[in-house]
Amino acid sequence: MSGARSRGLSPGLSPRWRHPLVWLALAALLSQGVALALGSVSIGPDELVRVLTGGGEALHRTLVLELRLPRALAAFGTGALLAMAGALMQILLRNPLADPYVLGLSGGASVAALVAMLAGLGATLVGGAAFAGALASTLIVFGLAHGGGSWTPTRLLLTGVVMASGWGALISFLLAVSPVERLPGMLYWLMGDLAYAGSPWPVLVTAAAALAAVMPLGRTLNVLARGGLQAAALGVAVRPLEWALYLLASLVTAVAVTTAGSVGFVGLMVPHMLRLRLGNDQRRILPASLLAGGTLLTLADTLARTLIAPQQLPVGVITALIGVPTFLFLLQRSRR
Amino acid sequence: MTAKRDTLRATVLAVWLGLGMVPGVVGAAHAQPADGICVTDDAEREVCLGAPATRIVALSPGVTELLFAAGAGERVVGAVSFSDYPAAAEDLPRVGSYDRLDLEALLALAPDLIVAWAGGNPREQVERLAALGLPVYFSDAGDFAAIATSLERLGALAGSEAHGRAAADRLRGEVAELRSRYADAVPVSVFYQVWDEPLMTVNGDHWISRALSLCGGENPFADESPLVPRIGREAVLARDPEAIITGGMGKADSSWLDAWRDFPELTAVRRDNLFFVDPDLVQRATPRLVEGTRALCAHLETARERR
Repeated sequence: MSGARSRGLSPGLSPRWRHPLVWLALAALLSQGVALALGSVSIGPDELVRVLTGGGEALHRTLVLELRLPRALAAFGTGALLAMAGALMQILLRNPLADPYVLGLSGGASVAALVAMLAGLGATLVGGAAFAGALASTLIVFGLAHGGGSWTPTRLLLTGVVMASGWGALISFLLAVSPVERLPGMLYWLMGDLAYAGSPWPVLVTAAAALAAVMPLGRTLNVLARGGLQAAALGVAVRPLEWALYLLASLVTAVAVTTAGSVGFVGLMVPHMLRLRLGNDQRRILPASLLAGGTLLTLADTLARTLIAPQQLPVGVITALIGVPTFLFLLQRSRR
Repeated sequence: MTAKRDTLRATVLAVWLGLGMVPGVVGAAHAQPADGICVTDDAEREVCLGAPATRIVALSPGVTELLFAAGAGERVVGAVSFSDYPAAAEDLPRVGSYDRLDLEALLALAPDLIVAWAGGNPREQVERLAALGLPVYFSDAGDFAAIATSLERLGALAGSEAHGRAAADRLRGEVAELRSRYADAVPVSVFYQVWDEPLMTVNGDHWISRALSLCGGENPFADESPLVPRIGREAVLARDPEAIITGGMGKADSSWLDAWRDFPELTAVRRDNLFFVDPDLVQRATPRLVEGTRALCAHLETARERR
């Protein structure tokens, strides 16, 4: 927690405060523009404008409106959800290494999705299975961490990490016994891939709803981030708030995983990058995570589609490749 | 994780195997005017075209070979990575790899027929193509009979019906000739090695196993349930095959076969019945499989002579 820059308890929303959000929103829009403009087929800026205003060649209309737009929006929504879930988990567990998957949620989703793929089910059912698996894993971890009565973030973290290892073993088992011809699809799902993303609406609506749900809690979350005891002393109902956070973060991650498989890195690093620049005020970090996570994944997916086209890369490769140097650069710069 | 690395290598292999057993991948058949050409594909769907296809995109190396063999080569305008036969296929524009299609590159070729590989192509991507109104033929040939039928059907769709039928008849004739020549062949127990690490073979439903049985080869792993089972070395030692045949990594690399020499008590090793076949000839379900089958049969003859 970068205490020096934290203005967590400052009241009100000053214009100076909102400034970075405006820039991030512009970057988000720009990333959508880039995603629509780039692809294996090159479409000039004038033609792109014609397509977006209802004209243009039929082929270009199909490419931009049927292929690129839904995928760019799905990428944005998925990235937004993962970054927000990561920020929430980091507050909840008071642990900088927390990411949306730290409590085994992606493992549960992956096992269920792989079983569905093994059974030869279609895309919709695989998505549904992933969602069910994510929620099942959430409930198991919830129940186990809750069980003994004494509850701490450490206990939750340990339970989740052990569950994640268990899921990991099951994933290896499923891969080992799966028919050879099914393996590529399974591996791409595990790596995170937007080629199979369907409609972008579930992620976009969830992102908006989740943000609307957490924004009123901003100041309370700031207090919680400083520690449970401190928060309790200041009159925060810590236990219910923590469970609500856990369930919200899990739900949000489940929707993201259902759309694009387990895309790594975004949920862990985006909130940290933003904290390095913006301080640790959740009222700013949460919307900023949404915008920056969405932007990062949109750009990464655009690169994944075009970098070595017609060969296609899984987006997870790119998020880490551009995210790691950016993060290290910011970390280096932030040394005071 | 080792498991992941192994399976990654196995995915590369899947390209060469051209196998798949997924019937009815896309439910929504296209309701198109019935006055054109209609054929049934390997997913039991009706594929109808108003006129013979002139711009075909083939979504697996095996499918590309089938199209060329059916006389539709000139009408193929796009293919995927590793589509290297016949030579003309190497220059075709690429639309990604069989397991990750570049839909943009594909649509930009303005195809009027997509020939997909039912078991190998990502279902979501092929479904999207179908949703955009493109006719999709699912290919899933798994034996000589299905290869011959595919040649006829693809020929019909591409307006090279006579060529396709001739190719199919030639194939059936060659297979019948092989079958009668080896009708009374003495059985030879033979292990076909698909991959080294993990050790993989084929079950009795695979066309390689069927090709072997055509000339008296008996597959000790015929009853395994996966089409391409992963097995242990011990299981091979226990079944003590009379011959071991592999496509291996290529002709130059005999390391897979040499590894068996560590077990001199194996009958196959004692009689030096360790054979190589060109994997391109046996691991793709195309008319070239006849040539591959002749090579397999010749090796089995050698094994009989060494008794």
